[in-house]
Amino acid sequence: MTQPFLSIRNIRKTFGAVVAVHDVTVDIPKGEFLTFLGPSGSGKSTTLYAIAGFQDPSSGDVLLQGSSLLSVPSHKRNIGMVFQRYTLFPHLTVAENVAFPLRVRRRPDKEVKRKVDDMLALVRLEGFADRRPGALSGGQQQRVALARALAYDPPILLMDEPLSALDKKLREEIQAEIRRIHRETGVTILYVTHDQEEALHLSDRIALFKEGRIEQIGSGEDLYLRPATDFVAGFIGNSNFLPAECLETAHGSATIRLADGSVVSGVKANHSLSRGQKARLMVRPEAFRLTPGASCAELAVEFIDTAFFGERRRVVARTAAGQEIDIRPTSDAADGHGGIASRSRQVFFDPAAAFLFPA
Amino acid sequence: MLLDYDRMGWLRVVLLGFTGLVAAFLLLPVVFIVLLSFGSSRWLAFPPPGWTLKWYEELLADPAWLDAALTSMRIAAMAAVLAVAIGLFASFALVRGEFRGRDVLRGLLLTPMILPVVVFAVAIYAFFLRLGLGGTTIGFVIAHTVLALPFAIIPIATALEGFDKTIEDAAIVCGASPLEAKLRVTLPSIKIGIFSAAIFAFLASWDEVVVAIFMASPTLQTLPVKIWGSLRQDLSPVIAAASSLLVLLTLFLMIVTAFIRRRFSK
Repeated sequence: MTQPFLSIRNIRKTFGAVVAVHDVTVDIPKGEFLTFLGPSGSGKSTTLYAIAGFQDPSSGDVLLQGSSLLSVPSHKRNIGMVFQRYTLFPHLTVAENVAFPLRVRRRPDKEVKRKVDDMLALVRLEGFADRRPGALSGGQQQRVALARALAYDPPILLMDEPLSALDKKLREEIQAEIRRIHRETGVTILYVTHDQEEALHLSDRIALFKEGRIEQIGSGEDLYLRPATDFVAGFIGNSNFLPAECLETAHGSATIRLADGSVVSGVKANHSLSRGQKARLMVRPEAFRLTPGASCAELAVEFIDTAFFGERRRVVARTAAGQEIDIRPTSDAADGHGGIASRSRQVFFDPAAAFLFPA
Repeated sequence: MLLDYDRMGWLRVVLLGFTGLVAAFLLLPVVFIVLLSFGSSRWLAFPPPGWTLKWYEELLADPAWLDAALTSMRIAAMAAVLAVAIGLFASFALVRGEFRGRDVLRGLLLTPMILPVVVFAVAIYAFFLRLGLGGTTIGFVIAHTVLALPFAIIPIATALEGFDKTIEDAAIVCGASPLEAKLRVTLPSIKIGIFSAAIFAFLASWDEVVVAIFMASPTLQTLPVKIWGSLRQDLSPVIAAASSLLVLLTLFLMIVTAFIRRRFSK
């Protein structure tokens, strides 16, 4: 059996009576970009801190290439880390910041200089070597922090919401940089964020945290197309949850009745549901169509508001049962329907692209 | 804002006048002393009949005065170094520590600033007599260190509170031991606070007279004690000259502090 590169085994962390992390177990292959995604307080940062050594887990273990990290003090773990806050050393220049981890390792001057140049080239800040952190923008500071964290070729790089202090445009720019740097260096990255778009954009795999546990782990596509629970479905991508009642289930497919009385058959149901059980049907806003198609289910709605968002239009509609839902048809499909607010009509969706969860 | 200076109209004149009065009240005695130290009158008459530097000559020619000034500097320097060293450890405990009685400890360490000095002076005098430390440099330094401690702790603790501990954590992840991270990252980052602490602690000892009178011996006198002692014997303009020098050094240190703070806070 091959040994996993980094193995997080049954990590549990309690603060008094509060359990912050419950039994988290993940194996991470070398070179993977794994994101811990979840709302605040879901235990994702606590798990990361346990790996960095800032918080000792109450139980469980972290193994790097088979040997435990927990007995090693933080400064000897040889891990790279980029923080949410700006953590450049204010009294040192950019070059001295990047050199710091090499200086504390007593590396020869020549090697330090070469490595600093390489790292500044990697994050494309060659001209900034002699600046002080105070003279840099937030995005530049985080790039220097990234260069500093990679200067000593750590086997693992931890990133704790490094972009959350930046504005949206800059965030996307640096996400692209991080992807490139991951590709070029091949370093194993554990990334923490609460931003699902960021997670989808960056990661090979995403571990979605909920209340201290991993709710589902898989590629972004897995989580989006095959959500294991309603929490995953609600957290990744946009979603509408329609209350429903289960009429019949067979072979992972169900027939249900929606709140307005219409019956839909052939919806995906991974959970065992008994006849008559209350359920929730999740339909993505972009799964709704304005024109009927083969084997499509239909839903009577009233358009309340429509807005144009470039490639898609966003429609707020009300079902016959009085629930407001979000519909995002492509703009060309909605062409000519833009100004029809407050009109009753049918919308259509493929039941096989909808998911049934227990209520 | 209601009390915006630009909108006060004629009230501005009142405000300016009042502020000027307060400033004059605080500064005039000092100005008089400095003027008198250059006056030619033996009896400190004002306005002086003429101007002279002879009191300064007399001051510098008398080894007792020079001796007192050097003693003052020596004791103030030692007290400042000790107060900063202790203040540094105390600040880490007060800012970073999570233990029972932290607020009590903070209060205790700042007591010397609030406690009537004469009470402290009598207490430490009695205590040091018993230990045989009365009239010794060590006793002097210890007593002044206690008095200077709050002036060292306040700027250092303030600087440390303003320093994000995550930066120190970053240094540790980078491979620096916790001690190395403090020496190479945290201390340089709070150096303005440490510098201010040193200056304030030095000045707290430099111009301290009450405790110094109790601690002094005929052979060990600080400048303020010498001034006080001379004043009781005769009212010579030499005292004004000595006082002016005392003010001058204080002023100089305050200006240096302000200058350095401004340069580094940019």
